[in-house]
Amino acid sequence: MAMGMTVDTVGELAFPVWNPIRRRFPPDSPFFASGNVERELLAKQVALDLTEDEINHLQIIVETESRRISCPIAGCPERLKSLDHFEDHYNARHTASCSVCSRVYPTSRLLSIHISEAHDSFFQAKVARGYDMYECLVEGCGLKFKTYKARHRHLVDKHKFPTTFEFFKRTQLSKKRREKLQRQHVSKLKHKEDKEEASSDAMEVEDKASVDGLVSALSTLTTADTTPSNVSFGRRHGRGLTFVPRSVHREKRTESSSAPGPTN
Amino acid sequence: MADDGTASNRRDPIKSSVGNVAGQRRRQQAVTVAKERRELLVRAKRLCRVGTNGDVEDACVDNEMMIDEDQPILEAQASKAVEELKSAVQYQGKGAMQKMVIALRELRRLLSKSEFPPVEAALSAGAIPLLVQCLSFGSPDEQLLESAWCLTNIAAGKPEETKALLPALPLLIAHLGEKSSAPVAEQCAWAIGNVAGEGEDLRNVLLSQGALLPLARMIFPDKSSTVRTAAWALSNLIKGPEPKAAAQLVKVDGIMDAILRHFKKSDEVTATEIAWIIVYLSALSDIATSMLVKGGILQLLLERLATSKSLQLLIPVLRSVGNFVAVDPKAILTILIREQNTEESIVGVLAKCLRSEHRVLKKEAAWVLSNIAAGSIEHKRMIHSTEVMSLLLRLLSTSPFDIRKEVAYVLGNLCVESAEGGDTKPRIIQDHLVSIVRGGCLPGFIELVRSPDIEAARLGLQFIELVLRGIPNGEGPKLVEGEDGIDAMERFQFHENEELRVMANSLVDKYFGEDYGIDE
Repeated sequence: MAMGMTVDTVGELAFPVWNPIRRRFPPDSPFFASGNVERELLAKQVALDLTEDEINHLQIIVETESRRISCPIAGCPERLKSLDHFEDHYNARHTASCSVCSRVYPTSRLLSIHISEAHDSFFQAKVARGYDMYECLVEGCGLKFKTYKARHRHLVDKHKFPTTFEFFKRTQLSKKRREKLQRQHVSKLKHKEDKEEASSDAMEVEDKASVDGLVSALSTLTTADTTPSNVSFGRRHGRGLTFVPRSVHREKRTESSSAPGPTN
Repeated sequence: MADDGTASNRRDPIKSSVGNVAGQRRRQQAVTVAKERRELLVRAKRLCRVGTNGDVEDACVDNEMMIDEDQPILEAQASKAVEELKSAVQYQGKGAMQKMVIALRELRRLLSKSEFPPVEAALSAGAIPLLVQCLSFGSPDEQLLESAWCLTNIAAGKPEETKALLPALPLLIAHLGEKSSAPVAEQCAWAIGNVAGEGEDLRNVLLSQGALLPLARMIFPDKSSTVRTAAWALSNLIKGPEPKAAAQLVKVDGIMDAILRHFKKSDEVTATEIAWIIVYLSALSDIATSMLVKGGILQLLLERLATSKSLQLLIPVLRSVGNFVAVDPKAILTILIREQNTEESIVGVLAKCLRSEHRVLKKEAAWVLSNIAAGSIEHKRMIHSTEVMSLLLRLLSTSPFDIRKEVAYVLGNLCVESAEGGDTKPRIIQDHLVSIVRGGCLPGFIELVRSPDIEAARLGLQFIELVLRGIPNGEGPKLVEGEDGIDAMERFQFHENEELRVMANSLVDKYFGEDYGIDE
């Protein structure tokens, strides 16, 4: 395949190639939020020209009264004592949280497993074709399984997980919701068949109808309005949105941040 | 108050931040992340435990552990204190002044003790009108001071409580005047700072009542303590996001000189407050930006960045640099390079921030670099030729997500010429691209493609496109495949985001089509 060295006209693909532009943010932009938090957390440490005694007394006051600052992430009720605590908390709670369903995981690996299994229709498509997709949750084990249940059995048998352990608790949809989904599924299936002709051969699929059906059904399922789980491994905190990158909420995107790259 | 600055007897106000009980209460469910953060962080109020007159008796020495059961007692005491004050105010006879001061002092003590001063109780008992009366012109300094101190702490808590200060504002502002005794003016500034920190509405009220000018004037003298408090209050007043307060400030005769002078010479604590003023000015006022640049602010900022170890100072200084660079990277950079007469180059100073252990410094430094890298070829080469490159590559693989995203911007910007004019396709800078890829950046970008953040995934895909298109001898696709790039892109096949889906699919189609021989 010929690969041009000069600038390629990816015109026919309409790919928004990288274009360096400067990015400017207003002072109240969420981009600066973590820096602003510092200002508050550290303010209490400012104390000049005090005598030694006063410094000691001040320490005691600060510690006993545990002045805390609330975590600035939406929906998080946590209150932190110091910058270090905040960093810990942030790392623990907000860097491994699912932006779709706001579950929190103690490691990025588990988060990524969750995302694949719960929100990735490509994953489900592969499952449907019989691949071993369900990874063992224990890091370093490396085994994979064809079904959620098989993986669960493995966790219990091999790694001594409690039998009641549920990595992903499927929530029971209300009857209304189920009916609605059923209707959507049917109409989507029809729509998909119409598009069949025009679609590119992106992925080889033997049985297009069934996989597409599975895929479209899954893509209509959202976990956003399901009831919060209570026994699952990923703790969901707060009914509000946790850290959702602002770019996910298109309609709420602040117009001040310029988007990267697109050639307009 | 000891004005000669000797450390022994002089106690400076201990400024401490207030717990954000109010913030949590205000949080509503449907609010977007941006608005919530802003609401929370705008609250920059400070509780005054030691007033500006240096009266320390109760603050540290008392050291009572305030536990919850004491709260009702405290509240009862507060109500009683207000009653006492009322009768003192009404009393006309001999020693009236003395009575008032004693009553005020008692109330002030109660309001300065714990993390949760009994503000509500004091307000219900009718403290505000009395305190306003105590602020009347001609009152003795001590009375003014105690009254302003009470008001300061009332304003340091919940929004409703801060708003309760409205009737007192005109007088507080008045006592900022140049004829006021310094401690009184400072205490009033403190109270006003708390009010300004509450929210935009109150800021507008303060502006319309003329708070800006007298507050700004308090920055002119060299006296450290007053300047610090006034600068803090001023920064709260102009923080916006509406630019009108900043615009007003710029018009004050001599203010820019004062700002530059203090920033250059002051101790780090004062410089911190001034730096925040600079942050807001550089973000909100173009006039201020150009005046500051002409006044040599850039070199001063770099010097502070290079020498300071105080995180509290570094953050606003770095952000100011970022704001200046973001306005017009090419122009600012030209000035910086031309003015370079210290050892501190901007890239060197930013590298220092990247090496810091503090997340915020790393993230914002990378942001500044990304804007510099969005400049001219010379600027890109300037970055590319330094040791900052290895730092960036390391950060791309190891740091937290938000830092990695900024680093991605830097690296990508370094590889592409900025397009001039609307229709020219931006050219790839091949030697930069090759060296960065050779430096091992691909896994990091592919990792971004996998992230749930749309913006990050987009960046990753755009960089992959550069690699596929720009690496010589057609080696791009092999490299991408070697790092599981195809797999990462294929995940977008059924992704709900249409733009990403189209982007990923078009790359896979174009570069990994039938001719390629995918090992399936």
